[in-house]
Amino acid sequence: MTAVCVLDPRVDPQPPDWPGFQRASQLHPVWDYELMGLEAWLARNPPLLALVRQAGRIVAAMSVMVCRSWRAPRYAPPPRRRPHWPRPLWAEVYQPWLSGFPGVVFAPGLDQDGRRAAARAVERALPRRLGPGLLGLLYRAIGADLVPVLAGRGRLVRRTDPAAVLDNRFATEEEWLASLSKSRRGGLRRQQRALAADPTLVIRGGPGRDDLDAVAIAHLINRHRAGFGRLPMDPRTPVAAAYLDRFLRRPDVHTLTYHDQDGRLLAVHTMLDHPHTPVSQHWAALREADGGRPNLYFDNCVRAVRYTVRHGRARLSSGRGLLDVKRTLGFATRAVYSVAVPRPVMGG
Amino acid sequence: MWTSGVNALWRAAYRRAVRSAFATVPLYRERWALGGRTDPVVVPGRTGTHGGAITAEEAVRKVVDLVPLAGGAASPDPARGLGHVLPLARPPRPGTLVVVVDPAIPRPPTDLPNTLRGCVLDPASLTGGTRPAALDEVVTALRRNGNVTAVGPDEAIAALVAALPEDLAHRVDRLPHRALDRLDGGPFGLIHDPVLGYLGGIGHCGRWHLDWPRVYARRTTGGLALTLLRQSSPRLVDILVAGGVRGEVAPCPRHGTPVVLT
Repeated sequence: MTAVCVLDPRVDPQPPDWPGFQRASQLHPVWDYELMGLEAWLARNPPLLALVRQAGRIVAAMSVMVCRSWRAPRYAPPPRRRPHWPRPLWAEVYQPWLSGFPGVVFAPGLDQDGRRAAARAVERALPRRLGPGLLGLLYRAIGADLVPVLAGRGRLVRRTDPAAVLDNRFATEEEWLASLSKSRRGGLRRQQRALAADPTLVIRGGPGRDDLDAVAIAHLINRHRAGFGRLPMDPRTPVAAAYLDRFLRRPDVHTLTYHDQDGRLLAVHTMLDHPHTPVSQHWAALREADGGRPNLYFDNCVRAVRYTVRHGRARLSSGRGLLDVKRTLGFATRAVYSVAVPRPVMGG
Repeated sequence: MWTSGVNALWRAAYRRAVRSAFATVPLYRERWALGGRTDPVVVPGRTGTHGGAITAEEAVRKVVDLVPLAGGAASPDPARGLGHVLPLARPPRPGTLVVVVDPAIPRPPTDLPNTLRGCVLDPASLTGGTRPAALDEVVTALRRNGNVTAVGPDEAIAALVAALPEDLAHRVDRLPHRALDRLDGGPFGLIHDPVLGYLGGIGHCGRWHLDWPRVYARRTTGGLALTLLRQSSPRLVDILVAGGVRGEVAPCPRHGTPVVLT
């Protein structure tokens, strides 16, 4: 017996079995229910949490963003206030702050048929929840292993920008450096020496930091993102300070900050720790024209790799940007796909 | 006149401003969704502190988050509203030169009617070696029997008047700034806040009137919270000015429009 439950983290209480599923599936901290609620309140396209249970046990979970026109510069309407007429919307299975990872997770051990059945069950439940205005569903950042599960007749599968991953086959940081090209290795060493000798630069890093100004970090991240222009059909909202304030205090979130001697934030990096695959999440820096410093990006990469190697993590994931630079740092790419499911074939 | 219908319209404009701020402005979305607010309540069961109002200091500190998602200006205009409160406090004649003498107002007002000219004059420049051009313009206007209205803090207006020739100084109309917590008996004056701009002035009746088509005020536990009803960015809704001023808003017995009693 399969049961689907679609929760709005803004108002619905956390299901009692959700923390257990999070632990068993080793989900990244962005799946925390309270954080999803915060994110939902402060988003244009708020996430819902869809859970599939079989025999009373969670077998699949999806973060389903309810997307309205990206031209409307408004936050989502308050929960449970239905429009007077069906407004067009679509759903995206996506974890907005977990680049390169899908918004769907399955219980360990669930076979392909079970996964397909669970996904189809959610697809059938969503129109009931979201109403007749639902145009379809888009699975973003799907790995190659999930494509056979989610693809099918009438569904569009497209390969998108790949994600950068570094498989940790190194015993020490030196081994990693030795695997890089001579010029890159030399450049990194020079930069490390220069940064260590710079008395005007204050570098602090660590998990669960409570000494941070979330407003300044949110501004820097949003400014950095805005500097690249608006991505087409990006359903994400600028990251909110209230979200970061809670998020950065978590013990599994590492924050690296660079300040100048006057206390001005120059750059910030967040990394989500994980027993298997830590994720390099946000990177933001002031441009040099605005007082930023060069080479901080490389320093943050070195520190992330250092952490991965020292703590024996299997892999470091580093998002989908700057792939050329990441290749020179030893990162490989992992294929990522999108699967679009028009409304008529949802659930079929 | 102040009727229940007009009061309802004023209140409806405020509720629209609240709804719009909640739907589009990051700071209010965070504050009211997670903490709550009152009058109106936007999330059932969440009432927040001070009814959801924020201090002017916090608004300045987080001014970037007061810009709506659609974008807009990110700095408050301390000269906002002058054109609308002048007729209330000291109706100027056409052609009047309005001189804003306040070091905190670096740019001239943008909302003066076409019949008036406006300029700013930094009072510090009056004591320096170089005579500011705006001062020459004031003298010229007075010599041509023109009207000049000086707007600013008492000491700044006094510095301007002291810098004028003795035979002209008495012809300057004075409109001193008053903070919400320092409202006096007049007879002339404008309610001014460095963040929200001009909020009202003393009417003919001697009471401190709000520029009610553009400014809303309500009582909260933190003091009077003021809202700019027509400013799109930065959006200033329920701001506790002057550290939170105890007071109330009541209809003027003579005009029927809202006045501030502190």
